[in-house]
Amino acid sequence: MDTGSRSQGLPGLCAAYLLAALALLYLSYRLPRLLPGDFLTALYSGAEASLPPELKEAYRNQAEALITRGFVGYLNDFFTLDWGRSLAFRKPVRELIFTALPWTLLLLGSAHLLSTLVGFFAGVESAWRKGSLPDRLGVSLMTILEGIPEIGSGVLLLLVFSLSLGWFPAAGAETVYSDFTGWQRFLDVLHHLALPLGTLFLAYLPGNFLLSRAGMLYAINAPYMLTAKAKGNSPLRQRYLHAARNALLPVVTRFGVRLASLLTRALTVEALYSYPGLGSLLCNAIALRDLPLISGIVLVTSLAVLSITLILEFAYQKLDPRLRA
Amino acid sequence: MTNTVHRFLCLLTGLLMLLCTVFETSSPVLAASGRIKELRIADSRGDWGPPTPYQHYPRGPGYLRAAWIFDTLIWKDHNGLVPALAESWSFDPSAMRYIFKLNPRARWHDGRPVTSSDVAFTIEYFKKHPSSWCKPQWISAAQTPDERTVIITLAEPYAPFLETIAGVMPILPRHIWERVSDPQNFMAPEAFIGSGPYMFKDFDRTRGSYLYEAFDGYYQGRPLADRLIYLRAGASLPALLSKEADLADIQPDMAAAAKQRGLVVIKNEHGWNKKLMLNHTREPLNSKIFRQALAYALDQEEIIAKAHRGFGLPASYGLLSVDHDLYNPAIPSYPHDTQKARQLIESLGYERDEEGFYAKNGQPLHLELLASAVSLGGQNASDRDGEVVKKQFEEAGIRIKLVAMEQTAADSLIKNWQFDLAVSGHGGLTGDPAGLNEYILPEEGADNVNSARFGANAELTTLLREQIREMDPEKRKQMIFAVQELYAEELPAISLYYPEFTAAYAPEKGVAWFYTKGGVSGRGIPLPQNKMALIPR
Repeated sequence: MDTGSRSQGLPGLCAAYLLAALALLYLSYRLPRLLPGDFLTALYSGAEASLPPELKEAYRNQAEALITRGFVGYLNDFFTLDWGRSLAFRKPVRELIFTALPWTLLLLGSAHLLSTLVGFFAGVESAWRKGSLPDRLGVSLMTILEGIPEIGSGVLLLLVFSLSLGWFPAAGAETVYSDFTGWQRFLDVLHHLALPLGTLFLAYLPGNFLLSRAGMLYAINAPYMLTAKAKGNSPLRQRYLHAARNALLPVVTRFGVRLASLLTRALTVEALYSYPGLGSLLCNAIALRDLPLISGIVLVTSLAVLSITLILEFAYQKLDPRLRA
Repeated sequence: MTNTVHRFLCLLTGLLMLLCTVFETSSPVLAASGRIKELRIADSRGDWGPPTPYQHYPRGPGYLRAAWIFDTLIWKDHNGLVPALAESWSFDPSAMRYIFKLNPRARWHDGRPVTSSDVAFTIEYFKKHPSSWCKPQWISAAQTPDERTVIITLAEPYAPFLETIAGVMPILPRHIWERVSDPQNFMAPEAFIGSGPYMFKDFDRTRGSYLYEAFDGYYQGRPLADRLIYLRAGASLPALLSKEADLADIQPDMAAAAKQRGLVVIKNEHGWNKKLMLNHTREPLNSKIFRQALAYALDQEEIIAKAHRGFGLPASYGLLSVDHDLYNPAIPSYPHDTQKARQLIESLGYERDEEGFYAKNGQPLHLELLASAVSLGGQNASDRDGEVVKKQFEEAGIRIKLVAMEQTAADSLIKNWQFDLAVSGHGGLTGDPAGLNEYILPEEGADNVNSARFGANAELTTLLREQIREMDPEKRKQMIFAVQELYAEELPAISLYYPEFTAAYAPEKGVAWFYTKGGVSGRGIPLPQNKMALIPR
């Protein structure tokens, strides 16, 4: 990620990212069009009712217009922010994406951030107490958790906390059509967030924990730690200012790399808890072969991942003085 | 550090407990007046399109979401057809016309009276702008001798008129729709004004939720619940138990757990079948003998036991449900018999190779079987039908390549006849037998991937076309009996089993939800959301 970009400098880096963005634009245009089946088949094939010929013609024309509009037209639409209308929802794609995006950001952002923070600090503390009972327990527990997919932990949490105990709601991001305002609404959103967030937290935590712990173990034994100790630094300072800072680098790398797979991983959880985020929207769009909506979501998420990776390039250079050359 | 962790855990537990207590009592059951304040219905998909007659998705759940707002001339309850906007009706066979008397108390949600001119206008409007659910092409004229009387004359005899037109066609307010030339894109607030028990308030596409409010001026009395809400919930039983939903479909094997937790569980009749689609346009499936051999090779009971944990009932080979009043029990049947299947295959010139699989003239008998998560009554459900069917066919010596794919991809192949065998399914088997035409005839099932689109047996085709024109119930019954017999002999598709449809609801709200015999509306929708459950008696 870094070696090539350093040698090319900022213009090279920007050019590489621009090229990647263009490739993503093309993929978001091309891939949904390769899906077998079309909107009409998805909507009407198993229906109790059949489509009148006039409507069939109108839908077909609409679909043909979409397909015959080439990549240049697609690019033009993208840059003029005209992302088309969803065939199924009959609303502008942009509006649909921006309605669903905040929920996905809330769920994924909080899960990712929380698991990284908790995983990092727990990993550092565990490594510092290497061989102790909490460390051994922590490693065992995290290794087990690492092997449980989201669908497994999600169903388990749902069964225990929603089905058996009835503590948390099983679906949605908030109580639909409630009269809640202000704090009550905030708590309602948190109440609905608890289980999907818990599921994703359990899925992301072990990786962060194990990575931080491994990095920390390597850092603790480095010669500079002896110097830090000799200088009379407190154990907390030794841990966090000297050792953990070095253990942080792989965690930050992971943070960025994992972002790319976040959306696809959240699909399961969003579907399980009927969470109205981008994952659910994409699932619906694919099932209905809603080409403009699929393209829109794929494009927005992939460009977002690309932007975050670019930001991380700079963050990495800040964190690691060796890369500032 | 241990203290910090301890404090953090205490804080987290405290917050969770606070959340739980705050929301434990947040859903009041009844309003101060003793009326039901709110009813919540959950399903796994949520979005079924805007609830107008032209914009809901063409599936049962979409139609029902619009049906709360738009009433029809007649409707169905437990026992069959009941008055709706028409308080009475009669048929004059000599003039081939129906006379409907409208309920004088019927009002639109904007307060105007519902009159016969609205009904006549609706018929003309649907003729001009057919919707996926309503094509009143059988009607030649609608007269309105007075404000309350509509006389509908049929262009030619049409036996299922009451069930599939009068009981399905939503009546539109003339004063609104007469100005609308593009109903597919009519989304103004007036588009949601109907004469049904509930008024439209909101529809959220991304959240998959709908909100309705009781219509005070409803001609059959104010409906029982003040607000009606649809929400999306993938896990239906937890949604019911955590009181987020009051009614939802559940898996049949959850019925015991639901009952144990105080929910009322209801079961539907067998109006929906899983079936094996056969590409009868290509060899060897174009041979009736071969199709019969497949039926012998199949073991319906084993599919139910292995793929559905025993929840289901073997289907009739005559397509119409065993629960239908016109079901013919004396039709050809194919009890599982691998030996018989082999004999029939061998009678077509096939010989077994050293591995026990059939081949003819050096060409192995090799078929592809498409399997997908077929949506069941509008909800996606995956199963292992494909695997069990493959095993059974291979035991009879037919090599099967099982191809599992997503439903729309499979539908697309079936629609274009690019398949050999496919597991598919549909409902409507307890409704009016007019539905048989859509699932058998090539011209009527052109868009429907669940239709056999079979025209090779002229007698069957003629009978189907004529049964809908036969106004004498006894004569029609004989024709439907003959149709089932011919269908079971030809086997253009093989019905496998009827899955169990189960729903659960919370009894404390005081609403007794029910499954409608023959399904809701004339299209046989196998869902328990019949609006009659909320009409005061």
